[in-house]
Amino acid sequence: MDLSPLKAEIKELIVHELNLEGRDPATIDDDAQLFGAARDGAPPSLGLDSLDALQLAMSLEEKFGVRVPEGQEARSIFASVAALARFVAEHKKA
Amino acid sequence: MEGETTGARVWITGTGLVSALGHDVDTTWSRLLRGDRGLRALTLFDGSGQRATRVGGVEEIAAPDTGERWSRTSAFAWHAAREAMTEASLDLARMRVGLVVAGTTGGMFETESLLARLHADPDHIDSLVEMISQPLTATGDRLQRALGPFVRVRTLCSACSSGANALVVGAQWLLSGEIDAVVAGGSDGLCRLTLSGFNALAATDPDACRPFDVARKGLNLGEGAGFVVLERDTRARARGARPIAELAGWAIGAEAHHITNPEPSGAAAADVITRCLSHARLSAREVDYVNAHGTGTPLNDPMETAALHRALGVDVDRVAVSSSKGQLGHTLGAAGAIEAVLSALTVRHQAVPPTMGLTEPDPACRLVHVMHEGRAARVRATLSSSFGFGGLDTVLLLAEPGLGPPQRTRDARRRVVVTGAATLTPAGLDSGDTAARFADGSSWPTSRSGLVDLDLAPHLDTARARRLDRPARLGAVVASRALDQADDGAAAIPRAEVGIILGTAFGSLDTSAAFMHRLFEKGPRFASPADFPNLVPSSPVGHVSIYLGLRRVALATADLATSGESAVAQAMELVVGGEAEVIVAGAVEEASDLVERILVSLDPTSSRGGRVRSEGAATLVLEAEPHARARGKTPLACVASAHVWAGPGSRPVIEGPTDKARARVVSTGDCAEVAAALAGTGWEHAPATSLSPSVGAHEGVGATALVAAVAIVRSGVTREVLVVGVTEGRGYTFTLTASDP
Repeated sequence: MDLSPLKAEIKELIVHELNLEGRDPATIDDDAQLFGAARDGAPPSLGLDSLDALQLAMSLEEKFGVRVPEGQEARSIFASVAALARFVAEHKKA
Repeated sequence: MEGETTGARVWITGTGLVSALGHDVDTTWSRLLRGDRGLRALTLFDGSGQRATRVGGVEEIAAPDTGERWSRTSAFAWHAAREAMTEASLDLARMRVGLVVAGTTGGMFETESLLARLHADPDHIDSLVEMISQPLTATGDRLQRALGPFVRVRTLCSACSSGANALVVGAQWLLSGEIDAVVAGGSDGLCRLTLSGFNALAATDPDACRPFDVARKGLNLGEGAGFVVLERDTRARARGARPIAELAGWAIGAEAHHITNPEPSGAAAADVITRCLSHARLSAREVDYVNAHGTGTPLNDPMETAALHRALGVDVDRVAVSSSKGQLGHTLGAAGAIEAVLSALTVRHQAVPPTMGLTEPDPACRLVHVMHEGRAARVRATLSSSFGFGGLDTVLLLAEPGLGPPQRTRDARRRVVVTGAATLTPAGLDSGDTAARFADGSSWPTSRSGLVDLDLAPHLDTARARRLDRPARLGAVVASRALDQADDGAAAIPRAEVGIILGTAFGSLDTSAAFMHRLFEKGPRFASPADFPNLVPSSPVGHVSIYLGLRRVALATADLATSGESAVAQAMELVVGGEAEVIVAGAVEEASDLVERILVSLDPTSSRGGRVRSEGAATLVLEAEPHARARGKTPLACVASAHVWAGPGSRPVIEGPTDKARARVVSTGDCAEVAAALAGTGWEHAPATSLSPSVGAHEGVGATALVAAVAIVRSGVTREVLVVGVTEGRGYTFTLTASDP
């Protein structure tokens, strides 16, 4: 299944909901880390924080009807746009 | 120190409490020591769909029968303030008594019902008009009529440290010598907005909260009020009043870290605790107990533990610590005042309350916990910590009377100068020079929309400013511009040494309405966690502090049409009192469709096809004169006087002008009101101009008037300008004079 349209939608959502003013959603790497500092050699992290995570979880639920779990489980889901898209695609169907 | 006098002590001579455990001090205190918990299922409103609904609600309590509408917040305040005043046996006829009221939500619970009605019927005019009957200042106004007369009234907000800051402001009033006694405290009622907001932040525990416990999940909201009567020891002794405890030390600071999350190392909070101890000239060795902020959130408790370890050193292994929030819930704007009362009681009764809900301490919260029930203890001094959204921290030290040395009080004549000024109006951003045009009588080019249409982006680092909403952005632009001007041609002011005080009349009314609309429409799960912290009246202060790295006193004041004047008056008191060397002070008001509709509905002829109310922001850099001199800065102007008066019947006490022929008066309000205020003073016949027709009308415009006055003085037209702000028969005057070369 092609997740590209979903990834683009999620990038739009991130830029809009988190007020990343001036950021072109298309420039967000699918695999870029969303939170904290990036590992060496990895694409630059978006540097989001826990308040962003809450806002993002709320807007994902609003837009796609998926409920992101709280706590440790959320960490891997919020790893990147690609990971978010996989989670949304999987749970949207259910 | 320059201008220093000694000898004063600040005594607490009266206390009052309304809490989930009782409607008075004795009931609350005895149940607190027993370990009773006031955390129950929410009944005040429908909590369906909410993540957590266990709250420390106050059981039904009557408002005084005065024929006007009392919010629950105001009713709590009335009970607690009256209890404190009764205990202190204050005689208002023979004493100059002031009132400081702190809060965050004010009449939000009552306003929410109106928002619900407006949600269903957008043209429900009665609801619109009623909405502005409960601004943050409503509590102070009601108490003024029901318990006054008070000679000075102040309303302030610094999120969850508001209540503690009320005591600091009150103490500064006493030390200035202008006020004999101060009734100071905080009050906050439960409402849908705060419950939904904290739930959206996942900062709540669905069960009873567990401060410092390894299994803690978050806080429970509470409600209530705490008030004290503060008096100078000499004055109290002379009338036979006895101290409950001494307010021996205090410190206010800002973390400049994050709008909702505490600075995790605890270094910022530790700095405020340390400054509180050094203010009291006491050490950790004299402290026997800490009444912690202890919310029970995953982030607060380890941060606070780390801060106590840093600030108390080895004594952290001896000093007992507990949080009262496991019994009362987190009462937000009231918490700092309620906990100050409890801290005073630990000294009075030589006993410490427990942390209820704590059964297995988190290893990250290694402290000497008081668990299961209170106990008798030797308490010489108690620290009370309060940490609020935006990183607004205040720490108080309540001690046995006479434990430490008396307060260092500053000479009330310590000179304060203006070293920077900026204003943003519909005519654009102005650092004082364009404002000088006003001096020769020409009006500013005002955009018809009354809106600031300046593109703010070039004036802000938008990546760092992404969380700042419009009021915060307007505030950041003028504060930044004013500070740059203060730096110009002299040694720069380290931003960490700067404080910030901004006035706001209604807070973020439109954003609050939008937040509530979402709540009504989509349910509590879709309340926006990112928007919630922007709804606190002190939110622009927190944002600007974070954006510019300002780490001294940070708070918001409110006073209807004179909110700008109230902020500058507050800053003057704190700079004169030595609370900070430099404070950026002014006001921010954004355009508000709701306020606009309310004003038009009150006076349908007022709009004449245009906006009734504009928007804008203005700040002054107020700096202690020796501080400016030491860094080689030539001031723009001096603030020769700053006066506050509160009706009924009281008048401004102002001197001058020294040169009647050239003196000018600048105001923002109604010329007849200003003339009435100045009748019989030396300023009576000075040419007076109201700024509002040229710069627009909003509640913070007094700050723009002050910036304009600075420009007028600098232009050389006159050496002396009086700025007057009047609302509802009370007001402010400031004399700005040319800076002597």
